[in-house]
Amino acid sequence: MHNLWIIARREYVERVRSKSFLIMTILVPVLMSALTIGPSMLVSKMLTQGARHYVVVVSRQRVGEAIQQQLAKTQERESERATTARQKSLQRGEAAPPSQVTTDIDTNTSGEERAALTERVRKKELDGVILATDDALAARKLTYVTRDVSSFIQTAILEQSISEALHREALSAKGLSQSEIDGVLKRLELVPQNAVEGGPGAANPQATFFGSFTMVMILYMSLLLYGINVMRSVLEEKTSRIMEVMLSVAQPKEMMAGKILGVGSVGLTQLAIWAATAGAISAYGIQVAGVPIRSVISLSSLAAFVVFFLLGYTLYSTLYAAIGAMVNSEQEAQQIQFLVLMPIIAAIALAFPVLQNPSSQVALWGSMIPFTAPIIMFIRIVVQTPPWWQIVLSVVLTTATIYGLIVLCGRIYRVGILMYGKKPTLPEIMKWIKYA
Amino acid sequence: MNTIELNKVRKSYDHFVAVDDLTFHIEQGSVFGLLGPNGAGKTSTIRMMIGITVPDSGDIRMFGKPFERKSLERVGYLPEERGLYKKMKVVDQLVFLGQLHGLAASAARQKAAAWCERLEISDWLPKKVEELSKGMQQKIQFIATLMHDPDFIVMDEPFSGLDPVNVVLLKNVLLDLKARGKTVLFSTHQMDTVEKLCDSICLIDHGKSVLQGELKQIKARFGKSNVQIEYEGDGNFLEKSNLVAAYNNYGNYVEVRLAPGADAQQLLHVVAERSRVSKFELMEPSLEEIFIESVGKTDA
Repeated sequence: MHNLWIIARREYVERVRSKSFLIMTILVPVLMSALTIGPSMLVSKMLTQGARHYVVVVSRQRVGEAIQQQLAKTQERESERATTARQKSLQRGEAAPPSQVTTDIDTNTSGEERAALTERVRKKELDGVILATDDALAARKLTYVTRDVSSFIQTAILEQSISEALHREALSAKGLSQSEIDGVLKRLELVPQNAVEGGPGAANPQATFFGSFTMVMILYMSLLLYGINVMRSVLEEKTSRIMEVMLSVAQPKEMMAGKILGVGSVGLTQLAIWAATAGAISAYGIQVAGVPIRSVISLSSLAAFVVFFLLGYTLYSTLYAAIGAMVNSEQEAQQIQFLVLMPIIAAIALAFPVLQNPSSQVALWGSMIPFTAPIIMFIRIVVQTPPWWQIVLSVVLTTATIYGLIVLCGRIYRVGILMYGKKPTLPEIMKWIKYA
Repeated sequence: MNTIELNKVRKSYDHFVAVDDLTFHIEQGSVFGLLGPNGAGKTSTIRMMIGITVPDSGDIRMFGKPFERKSLERVGYLPEERGLYKKMKVVDQLVFLGQLHGLAASAARQKAAAWCERLEISDWLPKKVEELSKGMQQKIQFIATLMHDPDFIVMDEPFSGLDPVNVVLLKNVLLDLKARGKTVLFSTHQMDTVEKLCDSICLIDHGKSVLQGELKQIKARFGKSNVQIEYEGDGNFLEKSNLVAAYNNYGNYVEVRLAPGADAQQLLHVVAERSRVSKFELMEPSLEEIFIESVGKTDA
């Protein structure tokens, strides 16, 4: 036992002191937030670049005026919406419209005029030309001449505005008044409500979804990262031959347990730093993309995170330790690694369906099979607390599997660390397991 | 008293017998050489002594008791395949290994500093291992083996890759340990080292002991059957002479082993007839020759 602590402490101290620990601790939250908030900020930034100037080519002045009006109105409405959206929730890819839109009407539908306008767009004198001649309107297919064809969000906003302009124009031609038209075209909103009173997500479903998803991703990445760290570490001891020195003082089981304990503590330390930072941020009332963190991550889900991180980590790092002991190089390790990677990837592939449907059969089985349980059961707990007996059963099954794996992998480890040279075959590994 | 005793120890892997009914003992305060060609079973034997593996049959007693892990606190082992944590500082590494051997952190720190001073590498204590040369790393490993002042020191090829100055430095350390009543086991191919340091040896081949005992006695048993000759002229006739059993031309001189029953005086006569002799010396065979001859016999 004495040796186990010394080994675990060395592993812990060396890792926490290393530069890579510092870098990871800072970089992961930065990357995480960059990935979740970044795109929407980037898109809105891209689209708010100054005023935009369009020309609509129409056969009839009235159609042109309708489009002109609608584009101005849309611009106003969108910028209002975007402002409130930014304050209220993290709506990904929701773009703020250009700061100002100018639309000119051109009733010259000749080919030469079209060529001339196109040339102006090319020279950046105009941002776009919309060809809404009567022929095009009849075919319900307008041409939009622009420099950035791939800017689909901008195109979609234009498309929507022009459609609405034409609807208004048609309705007004039928003799409806302006207020009647407004009444018909008024947008409606769908408000989701959790069937469980006070259940998660009632206030802000999107935020809950992303909050849960972020936690699941962190769990997944930690399991993978620290599991692989254990494997690398065992392999390093084997290839550097310090293993031989260690073996004369410590028993293989002490070495394996010390390693798993040490690396796991590093993982917990890192997670604790992240949680504390997030906690501090939310305590100061700063909101991530408009959402207070407290409303997304509760204490109970944090507790569940720690429990299932520990279960998942112990399970996978035991397997990884055995792989590290079996192989002789990183390359060989990569070949065998996929066996361990498969269940983790399966679990994360199920994450989306389970998040959306936490009480389905798939979710139930996924949360009971020990190799996927740490991730799937965690998701279920976060989005919709499953019955207690299911949680207990899942934890018991996983713990029992961990116990079995420790016995099994301990035997592989004990023999494997002394074997150099060729990669062992499956029958050889079976023989190692049978050695008393 | 014997520091370690092996009695009919046997270890096999699958169908390969690595150690075959090996019996020997090492007296306390002596330097013992475990010799043998590659794959003879030296490392397998050592691994059983220090409990990394368990013998299939036979028994091992250490410090007069059956093997127990507690005894390992009094053992220092320097394996042939050895390494250190590359990213770790030398001092942290030594303290870590010292702690595993049962030292307190502060005591380990003191010992590490004292040893580094003695082996002239104090400047390197705060450096990372990866910055050290191979020879320097080997000195660190040497220190790691001795830090907890073990009573039984097991060293597998301790001098390989070291320059002569450092070999002398480490050799003196070992002789000093011997003088303090420590027991040293060497496993090596470097016969000159064994000849200079060892009191007794065990030569093994294919897992079996082929020769063992006190070095002096062994050499005496082989007798003064070797002759070193320095002369001017062509000496090739010696190779064909029926007085000579083995012939070795080293360039500046030749060394021959007399055929059984041959007389050295007769050989001198023959040589003097054909060339000018400047040196003619009767001597004991070198351990290397004994090694080659003994191992050759078992192969035949």
